[in-house]
Amino acid sequence: MAEERRSRGGAGSKTRGSARGAEKGGPRRGMFRRRKVCKFCTDKVDYIDYKDAKMLLPFVPERAKILPRRISGVCAMHQRKLQTAIMRARQLALLPYSTD
Amino acid sequence: MSQVRQYELVYILSPDATDQEVADLHTQIEAIITRYQGELVKTENWGRRKLAFRIGKHREGTYVLEVFKGTGELTKELDRRLKVIDSVIRHLCVRVDEDLRLAERTRARRDAETQRRIARGLPVGGRSRRSDDDGGDDEPTDRAEV
Repeated sequence: MAEERRSRGGAGSKTRGSARGAEKGGPRRGMFRRRKVCKFCTDKVDYIDYKDAKMLLPFVPERAKILPRRISGVCAMHQRKLQTAIMRARQLALLPYSTD
Repeated sequence: MSQVRQYELVYILSPDATDQEVADLHTQIEAIITRYQGELVKTENWGRRKLAFRIGKHREGTYVLEVFKGTGELTKELDRRLKVIDSVIRHLCVRVDEDLRLAERTRARRDAETQRRIARGLPVGGRSRRSDDDGGDDEPTDRAEV
């Protein structure tokens, strides 16, 4: 048995190493994070309306700054549209510029 | 010469404007729109709302939305007029036709896609998000005890 093990390790060490690496890189192991998806893509929102302050509110938390894309998971196209919508809503005092 | 486009105009009146004043301003704006060969599509009075921040000394205001079709000159004129009127504390005029057209187009495309999928008997609801990339999950750790 010991002999067999040694031979295996000697012959196929390279392949084994690579296989283990692939296993380690798998999605398990402690910090498993769910992949964020764009809210607007899943809800099939085509037009982000600046008049709908209630819809925009989750994207301007606490300090009333626009929530970055890396946190909200919104796709680039929708983030751009969201940005203009928020800026318009701010002009109309539907959303605050800042809060403290 | 200039093109007719669709615009949305939202203006905020000071909270102490009476209903009469609101109606008056609306008729005034309607008159300007017709004078410039525009067309009023719809109006909405949102009523009195709290402002997100103070504008001047006001904490709330009466919001009115007007959707109209017209030329750039018309919006310029409206802008000028609204700036002059004191009871209007804030206004915003936004061109919307392009965005709405784009939204319409994407929606139409998606509908066509769903129709196509139904016709072919494929699962509806866009691309399948399930991918089988989490295979190969057997433990590498028990190799130590061999």
